[in-house]
Amino acid sequence: MIRVRLFAGLRERAGWGEQQVPIPAGSPLPTPAHLWRQLALGETIPPQVRVAVNQAFATDDQQLQPGDEVAFLPPISGG
Amino acid sequence: MRWPSCPRSAAAERVLHLHPARFDPLAALAEWQQGLTAAGAEAPAAEAHFIGRVRGRTASGAPLEALELEHYPGMTEAQIERIAATITSRHGLLAVRVDHRVGRVLPGEAIVLVAVAADRRGPAQRGGQELLEALKHEAPFWKREWSGGLGTWVEGNTAF
Repeated sequence: MIRVRLFAGLRERAGWGEQQVPIPAGSPLPTPAHLWRQLALGETIPPQVRVAVNQAFATDDQQLQPGDEVAFLPPISGG
Repeated sequence: MRWPSCPRSAAAERVLHLHPARFDPLAALAEWQQGLTAAGAEAPAAEAHFIGRVRGRTASGAPLEALELEHYPGMTEAQIERIAATITSRHGLLAVRVDHRVGRVLPGEAIVLVAVAADRRGPAQRGGQELLEALKHEAPFWKREWSGGLGTWVEGNTAF
């Protein structure tokens, strides 16, 4: 399983904040870009959306491992 | 020697507080300063402080009822720690403190405190400014402005 999380405006547009995505035995390990498409979030990850894997920024083509946590982060507005 | 127990780069103390309720930035600063001089240590020669408060208007100029701050528990803290460690090392800072609100914040309330200590004003001011800008762009926080009963996510930051 891979835990996928959405935050702020992305979560509200999608209507969910968290999903567990199974990895079928024998299938290739997905990347964040694959999960974005698989979960019907869009065709490609928009440039303003950042990806985090296991709570650190990552690229959208990083190969994921079972147990990983992937988050899609809309533009940050802190401070 | 200001930090007798370890080399300066390793001794730089970094303190982070995420506050789910209102906090007093001046009390936080006083507590931090007391900590720096605990056990008889000499006070740092230079400190730079920034306090950010919620303005009473939205980005479009409407009266703001409240600002809601969402964060990514775990990653937000880890990311601030990574940012603070990098900037501490780059500028040779002696100590760093970051306080940030989460949840519902009212106009006039403090939303962020950044405090850094250094041996000179240049590293203190540059390090403090760099830390604040990194927080605004690299630490996962998201603001939603509430006005007229409607919430609008803010995408991006206010002008420098």
